[in-house]
Amino acid sequence: MSTLVTGVGLALPGVRSPEDLLGRIEVSGDAVDPAARIGKKGLKYKDRATQLALCCADEALRDAGLFGADGLSVDGETIAVIVASNYGNVDTVCSVVETIAADGAASGISPMDTPNASSNVIASTLAIKYGLRGPNLMICNGATSGLDAVRWANSLIAAHRADRALVLGVEPDNEIVRRLTGADHVIDGAAAIVLEHPAAAAERGAPGRAVVGASVRTAGVRDCLERLSGPERTVPAAWFGPGADEGLDSAVLGPGTPHHELAGVWGEESAVLGVLQCAGAVGWFAGGGAGPVFALAGRDHDDATAGLALLRPEPV
Amino acid sequence: MSRWPVTGVGAVASVGDDPDEIFRNLCDGRSGIGTLRGFNRDWYNADHLYEVDNRASRGADTVGRASALLAEAIGQALRDAGLPEDLRGIPVLIGTGLRELRSLELWWRDGADFDAARMHFGTALRERFGADDTHTISNACSASLYALALGIDLLECQECDTVVVAGVDVITESMFGLSDRLQLDPPDRLRPFDRDRKGTVMGEGASAVVLRRTPEPGQGAMYGWVRGVGVNCDAFHATAPDPGGIALAIREAHTRAGVKPEDVDLVMVHGTGTPLNDAAEATALADVYGQHISGPLMSGVKSMTGHTSGASGVLSLIVALKAMREQRVPPITGLDHPAPETDGFRLVRGEAVPAPVRLAQVDAFGFGGINAVAVVEAAK
Repeated sequence: MSTLVTGVGLALPGVRSPEDLLGRIEVSGDAVDPAARIGKKGLKYKDRATQLALCCADEALRDAGLFGADGLSVDGETIAVIVASNYGNVDTVCSVVETIAADGAASGISPMDTPNASSNVIASTLAIKYGLRGPNLMICNGATSGLDAVRWANSLIAAHRADRALVLGVEPDNEIVRRLTGADHVIDGAAAIVLEHPAAAAERGAPGRAVVGASVRTAGVRDCLERLSGPERTVPAAWFGPGADEGLDSAVLGPGTPHHELAGVWGEESAVLGVLQCAGAVGWFAGGGAGPVFALAGRDHDDATAGLALLRPEPV
Repeated sequence: MSRWPVTGVGAVASVGDDPDEIFRNLCDGRSGIGTLRGFNRDWYNADHLYEVDNRASRGADTVGRASALLAEAIGQALRDAGLPEDLRGIPVLIGTGLRELRSLELWWRDGADFDAARMHFGTALRERFGADDTHTISNACSASLYALALGIDLLECQECDTVVVAGVDVITESMFGLSDRLQLDPPDRLRPFDRDRKGTVMGEGASAVVLRRTPEPGQGAMYGWVRGVGVNCDAFHATAPDPGGIALAIREAHTRAGVKPEDVDLVMVHGTGTPLNDAAEATALADVYGQHISGPLMSGVKSMTGHTSGASGVLSLIVALKAMREQRVPPITGLDHPAPETDGFRLVRGEAVPAPVRLAQVDAFGFGGINAVAVVEAAK
């Protein structure tokens, strides 16, 4: 069973559509303003990561035709939520303990921070906002998190736990994350895709914009490309790298295989990268590109490399 | 209907350093509660937690305690299953509520050495076990049973022959502080389902199980079978549970396991001791079990382990498997006056009871209304 990508959402400076991810990206200086995109309602007491996730999810669900003026168009129990984020709540955690030490007591901290102290607040907030009652997962798995989230969405759909899944990667930019990662700046944005069982998509007439193929996980970039290529030695039509040009020397790639490097464009993308690459693949297919497209996240010095093959959808 | 053998178990908690010791102490009614060890006691009203007592000295907290507890539990489970400490190519799914956020706190505020690579557990497990397919699933207090659901899905889809499912949590000062802010009269112990319960008390621990696609005779212990796991989300409230969502998760677990309420011999309740959780859980159980509500024994571990958050689901599952093997069910301690919503429940109170257990239901519910319920079957 191969799931389909039926929707995309992007909340990033300088990008409006999946096709924009393929060319030269002009990152504008303006941060995403969630209130301007979805209104202020529901954003109070939400941390920055959750706010970014909310406006990105809104776009993805609308794009997939699952959410509109009348609310959800399908039963909320059929929709899973999988969010990838490594740093979503580190600002809350660090500021709470800082305040306690400064005051010498817990009396000065806000009880409104309580949900935000649990890392899964982003995924559960999306579920509450849209009534998404399927399985709800928060993946905090380092550099591979975004592609790992896609793998688990696929697995949940294959196991008949949901017909479709909102998969979203998000990271906030703040001083704590910058110091922790050693990065000059962090993406401060989100990317989302909607994955759907082909039968469920067909039932509501939703076109597939990409097909999710094999996923692999290995101890390094070179091995990941080899395994994605498989015994048939499939050469990808295009590929999204894990950063720092790692993998460029792989024998799996053809001499002219287009390489799209989204890592580092917005600073440290962390858990957003894998989902962003899937959105980029949608843009590649929308522009008439062939498949398969390989997406890789996690470099050799990380715990592991995750890889995903995305295939061109059948013409409708 | 499929079922997946549990071939190894491992656990560490405040009440014991391995599953045997934990089970023995639970049956003896021994609690792991103690006075605060990891934080500055002058800053808080509360002064009790169910901590794992492995710090070099009181108040001297160190980074990496969660990773260390996790590695210990996984190492135990691998040895128990007769497997080498080599997890290359084997999926390891870790459910957690608070990851290594305690280490993050020590880094940011107190200047401890820590970096982004250690925020998730893959780094430590790669170093210790060579693991390269690790997944940190941060699903609050239902995390390890959520991980179990994903693990059996991998076995079902024939993506692997072996999977390790674990849970871990050590207490963060931020979560403890927020709890202290809300609990003006902090509970001195955790009393699940008691009419006079005052709230939860956090605990520390790690738990791990090894699952196979097929049992291999002579290789490792056979504890029992995972028959099915149901997972869902209330989509109701960030902190308040919804009995309707919990009931749906229980029914989902029963359906996936192919069992009916009257088949279940034991329910290991989530039972956090908060007024809201326990009332919602009891209401959901009464709804699902209906006229059969007085059938299964009902027990739980948190009165003696504290709320071990991400570790608690698999820890309860291990206790259920041990109860099946030893035909003895540990009690809920401190349950002096059962709450009215538990009327008709066959609660195990005071002391352990001898009982044959063939099928057990294990509950785990988390912040944000994320529910996971497992059904396990005895090895026999």
